Amino acid sequence: MIFLAKLGIGMLGATLVSGAAVSSEGFIHVKVEEKQAEGTHINLIVPAALVPVTLRFVPPKYLVEASENLRPYMPIIDTAVPAVEGSPDGVLVEVADGSDQVRITKRGASIVVDVNDTDATVHVSVPLRAAQSSIHEIAAANGSD
Amino acid sequence: MQKISKGFAPVAIFLGVLPAATVVVAASQVRYLHVSVSNPTTHELVRVNVPLMMAEKIIPAINQGELREGKVRVSASVKDLNVRAILDAVKSAPEGEFVTVENTSDHVRVAKEHGQMVVHVLDKGGKENVDVTIPWNVVEALISDTSDNQLNVEAGIKALESIGDTTLVRVSGDENVRIWVDSQNGGQ
Repeated sequence: MIFLAKLGIGMLGATLVSGAAVSSEGFIHVKVEEKQAEGTHINLIVPAALVPVTLRFVPPKYLVEASENLRPYMPIIDTAVPAVEGSPDGVLVEVADGSDQVRITKRGASIVVDVNDTDATVHVSVPLRAAQSSIHEIAAANGSD
Repeated sequence: MQKISKGFAPVAIFLGVLPAATVVVAASQVRYLHVSVSNPTTHELVRVNVPLMMAEKIIPAINQGELREGKVRVSASVKDLNVRAILDAVKSAPEGEFVTVENTSDHVRVAKEHGQMVVHVLDKGGKENVDVTIPWNVVEALISDTSDNQLNVEAGIKALESIGDTTLVRVSGDENVRIWVDSQNGGQ
């Protein structure tokens, strides 16, 4: 009985620790709502820490081109992410073109992109640290295997 | 006497804390560089709001194209003008005196007025007007520690932190452009 109790506490502890680790970098939120009748509605919330981990399982040959393109910009990205993170919340970029609008906002530790056009509204929220980790994973891919 | 001292203490603390708090609030006020581009014909609008403290950190990290180590080479974009030479000429000129540059398509006037550098560019075709107003300390920062045809963007941004709310650039024509500095993060 005591053994079962210890096992239960251990499993609960492991679940809590892994849950905390997975959610430590925040969550990626993607919401897509097509405007036409019976259009697609997607609402996806993913722990951001899973993305760089998942990228490790992507065969490098699929990332090699992106990796080459990203590598020269890594010093800028590594400087920009903490700089954006440390800046106050607010709208960074706003583009309006007739009925289409795009807005990029810094909110907390995330970058939020909202698109509203004639066909759909799209909301994407990405934690900056997770984005940086993911970009590092992509840039590190050398396509050798 | 002791009663007076006891009553005075909170007032003294308040009076001491108030200026300190004011300094802290003033120091923490974030300054923004705003860019607005609009086209009345196509109803296109682009607005960019950059906290200066953010730009100050990112600019030195960019070593791409004409921008290297916080400095930009201007020769590629302004073919017929030596920007550095114009700024040096204005620096040594008395207040209000204009440097005038004439070429086939533009009429450019540069002046020093009320501690600011003022540039008016008039397109001879009448399509576009450009007004640039830059506080003199920002101009000096832009040409500090540079060689010919270089502008020190990093130093210029640092200098922008200390100026008041100012419109730096206004372009009117087919597209209207405004670049300004203030403390509002909405950029309206």
